[in-house]
Amino acid sequence: MNKITYFPGCSAHGTSEEFDHTLKLVMKTLDVQMEEIPDWNCCGATSAHVMTENLAIALPMRNLVLAEKLENKTMGIACASCYSRMKVTKKHLDENPNLAKKINSTIIDEGEYHGTIDVKSMLQYCFEEIGLETIKSKVTKSLAGLKVACYYGCLLTRPKDVTHFDSPEYPMSMDLLMEALGAKAVDFDYKTECCGASFSISNTEVVESLSGKILEVAKESGAHVIVVACPLCQSNLDMRQPDIEKHTKTKINIPVMYFTQLMALAFGFPEKELKLPKHIVPVEEALKNIGKIEPEPEKIKKTKKAVEAESEVV
Amino acid sequence: MARVGVFTCFCGANIADFIDVPQVVEATKKIKGVKVSAEYKYMCSDPGQQMIRDAIIQNRLTSVVVAACSPRMHEKTFRKALSDAGLNPYMLEVANIREHSSWVHQKDKKAATEKASDLIRMAVAKSIANEQLHEISVPVTKRALVIGGGIAGIQAALDIADARIPVTLIERSPSIGGRMAQLDETFPTLDCSQCILTPKMVDVASHPYIELIPYSEVIELDGYVGNYKAKIRKKASYVNFSTCTGCGACTQKCPVKVSNEFNMGIDKRKAIYTPFPQAVPNKPVIDAEHCTMLLKGKCGICAKVCEKGSIDFKMVDEVIEREVGAVVVATGYDLWDPKPYEEYGVGRYKDIITSLEFERMVSASGPTNGLPLRPSDGKVPKNVVFIKCIGSRDEAKGIEYCSKICCMYTAKHAILLHHKVHDSHAYIFYMDIRAAGKGYEEFVKRAQVETAATYLRGRVSKIYKKGDKLIVRGEDAQLGQVVEVVADLVVLATAVIPYKENPPLARLLGISYDKYGYMSEAHPKLRPVETAKAGIFLAGCTQAPKDIPDTVAQASACAAKVCGLFSGDTMKKDPMISTINTENCTGCQNCVTVCPYQAIVTEEIPLGHGSKEMRIVAKINEGVCQGCGSCVAICRSMSINLAGFTDPQIINEIVSI
Amino acid sequence: MITLGLQEKNTFLEAVNKKSGANVLECYQCGKCVSTCPVSGYMDFPPREVMQMIKLGLKEETYMANSMWFCLTCSACSGRCPREIDIPAVMEGIRHLAIEENYHSQDKKVKEITRFHEIFLDMIKRYGRNYELRMMAEFNIRTRNLFKDMHLAPKALLKGKITLGHESTKSAKAIQKMYKLAEKLEKNK
Repeated sequence: MNKITYFPGCSAHGTSEEFDHTLKLVMKTLDVQMEEIPDWNCCGATSAHVMTENLAIALPMRNLVLAEKLENKTMGIACASCYSRMKVTKKHLDENPNLAKKINSTIIDEGEYHGTIDVKSMLQYCFEEIGLETIKSKVTKSLAGLKVACYYGCLLTRPKDVTHFDSPEYPMSMDLLMEALGAKAVDFDYKTECCGASFSISNTEVVESLSGKILEVAKESGAHVIVVACPLCQSNLDMRQPDIEKHTKTKINIPVMYFTQLMALAFGFPEKELKLPKHIVPVEEALKNIGKIEPEPEKIKKTKKAVEAESEVV
Repeated sequence: MARVGVFTCFCGANIADFIDVPQVVEATKKIKGVKVSAEYKYMCSDPGQQMIRDAIIQNRLTSVVVAACSPRMHEKTFRKALSDAGLNPYMLEVANIREHSSWVHQKDKKAATEKASDLIRMAVAKSIANEQLHEISVPVTKRALVIGGGIAGIQAALDIADARIPVTLIERSPSIGGRMAQLDETFPTLDCSQCILTPKMVDVASHPYIELIPYSEVIELDGYVGNYKAKIRKKASYVNFSTCTGCGACTQKCPVKVSNEFNMGIDKRKAIYTPFPQAVPNKPVIDAEHCTMLLKGKCGICAKVCEKGSIDFKMVDEVIEREVGAVVVATGYDLWDPKPYEEYGVGRYKDIITSLEFERMVSASGPTNGLPLRPSDGKVPKNVVFIKCIGSRDEAKGIEYCSKICCMYTAKHAILLHHKVHDSHAYIFYMDIRAAGKGYEEFVKRAQVETAATYLRGRVSKIYKKGDKLIVRGEDAQLGQVVEVVADLVVLATAVIPYKENPPLARLLGISYDKYGYMSEAHPKLRPVETAKAGIFLAGCTQAPKDIPDTVAQASACAAKVCGLFSGDTMKKDPMISTINTENCTGCQNCVTVCPYQAIVTEEIPLGHGSKEMRIVAKINEGVCQGCGSCVAICRSMSINLAGFTDPQIINEIVSI
Repeated sequence: MITLGLQEKNTFLEAVNKKSGANVLECYQCGKCVSTCPVSGYMDFPPREVMQMIKLGLKEETYMANSMWFCLTCSACSGRCPREIDIPAVMEGIRHLAIEENYHSQDKKVKEITRFHEIFLDMIKRYGRNYELRMMAEFNIRTRNLFKDMHLAPKALLKGKITLGHESTKSAKAIQKMYKLAEKLEKNK
């Protein structure tokens, strides 16, 4: 049994409940215990660092201080935005002990910051610490037949000197994870373009333009589903999709799912556990592609690989 | 009876794809005189050459035709194959069926094949009229003449002399050192120009194989490669260098002040002067144009104070001769006069100066002791605007080309300004930043980041005066907005132009120069230091604008060429040169005019056998003639014969088609 | 027309460099950031021009432009910058400097963006966490655009995409205290 400190983020209890819920199911299956930070607070999101200097550090720092108290090695974060804020803050604090001391002594009441905890996104945790082989071993229902476009957005891999995870331009971790579930990850050139993020409410024109382009490219790639690991990306791509369709006068109709929803499905949980009705763009039709192609039996795959390896040597 | 062997090459697919080689080989067999006609995939390969050698011996061939690529590629290869098999190498003809047929007629195989056959038939016909020729041997005078004592000439002279070949180095001004001696620090390492140059200057003066003749110029060059004869005028210095100790008393006492050209006119020198403290030789000369003693017969103070009695007002120019085998031309460059930039107020505003003036000011040994000063009021400037491409890349006012060094020295000036005046700021107007060289881009970055020079992309449109400031207006293309910089001093990066005396010098040397006045190299890529005239080489800015590293590299390349030329006691030369049939020659001298190599002179011979009356005929200088054939074509009396391209050979070719 | 060379020092550049930890002087104006930036088309001055303006010391023009407010901090530009300049940090630096020095852009979109952030921060101050529906409603009220996105609300509500209620956290009190202390710290600078 592995144990991690869990930071759900505000949207886990609102827009991305399905993410939070399926994440918990999946982690249980993978034998990971998630210990939620008691009394966590909002990371400050974009607003804090846009508008203020000290709060931008203090808000995530309070969570880091609380997380350290749980004495787990790793802190897993569901939301990409929370992950980024936490990680950026941690970098600032670790590089500037004076800053850490200053904020610690003047703003934070909950105790000392030590910089002992590892901050990872849940995607990163699955990929780096659980590993694809373990995930593969838990698959009871292959997703073969389903074509997915993996969308990472900005913050899971950027900036590189903050995240130290995957490629900032063409990451593959989620793609490999999906392939481990049996799905086919399509080539998708817009996997790290920005969706408009925090302009979700204040500047919808920009969001519709940026998300619209991402949807268009995903559609062209032949994917049935866009897979995401960030609540804000999900909501921009899903909730704004009808408006984008209206403005561009094109039918896109591509559902946007969390990677954990597809993991849960592959691990054998019934569809109702995925909380599909929460999706604005209906998912059910897309999921019917599963099983249209039989999964490749493991044996054949192995022989094929061996043959390929041999021919490479030649 | 002629026995010709014809060897046709596939050149891989180059020829075979577009010419039906077997058909050509068959057709060739029918040509009269052809004994052997064979084909091979690569004739230039060893088995290909062996095939030719074997055929020569087995069939006792009298001449050989190779139908392949251009003779420029492999004529030498096949000539060697002939001589290895005991045949005179000049019994070879090459039919160029690649460049002249397969490559240019790729769309019509039938026509290309026919043309190849024609070319071969012509070559066969020509080869039948070929005569046995032998390489010419020319003796070599192992001494080099280097014209110009800047860093290019210095480097070339030292490298040649280090190979124990005597060098005569002549320099127009009283001291060697050239432009480099005027520089403060050099990009991209900022090492002091004088510090790296002076040791080389001293080496020149003390080198046992270098004869340094300062204050002199070449006035005539006769002869040909390996055997030139140079006439050098030693200008009267009015100072006996052999007794002068360089004590400096004369320069101190001289009452005449003259604008100091070494310091770009910023300060004055005397009428008797040494150009700069580190001058080599460190002896003064009298400037005859300004000396009152020489002009009006009054003064003579220098002679009075000279303890050694070295001043000699009666000295006159002297012409000396040197026999040399090779010449290195290293005349250097001048700077473009920015006067045409009227919109900048050049000439009207004192605080607009040129880069070399700025360079002299920031030089530690310069006229302002290393501090840039405004010429108008002598104050230290804070805001300095540097403008690049003054005259360069300006077809309307200046010249078309890029002067190559301005981007780098302007970055250097921004850095030096900051070193000298800590609270100053440099603004640089530029069109492009051309920093292609080892460590150059990094150096520009240093100016941008460490020195915080503000680079503004745009040409300045106007400079006007406001109080004691100059307002410099230009576009910041990065913002798409017009900017005005309030400047204390404006520095113009004026274009590099050829040394003004290049064209007359080129004419007297018999080498060509381009439309700007730069000396022309023989090939822009593959023969960059040779001229079209054998034995004359180019180093440094005499050929094109270049920086110190490139100049030094080119100078060393010249030295290598000279050493190569002098590696034997004689030089081998192609026998394909013109000869005059003096019986027929009318002495019209059209050939003398048309010869691009100045290889034809005239001589007087008796009018008839035993006659005392003389007539003029042309005479070919074997060493100089390059066998171009111009004289043959112009000769109205058909008195000139070009070996390897004789009338019977050409007529045979024509008749064969 | 921009006039340069009046000041001895480019204090603006120095302030931005200090605030952002980046060195704007490193910028050699290649423009890779401009074609990378997803919102450069919406900006008064795209990132490259902002860099140049800072280099020239054009403080007011920089502060009053909408550029820095449109920056989404997606970090795509800095990831591709050949001079490795942290451009989002520069944008953030000039945002903070503008706020400190009381410069307020009159751009309507900028006002909406800053209003959103203020409401968001206010929300955290009150509850310690963020509640989307409240957030949207308050934003609409405060920007006097009551019916913005209203067509989304019924569907989103019905589908449980957004919820009406909010949890009360213990953290709320602690956060309120943090806000006060942070404010004090900022004032004491």
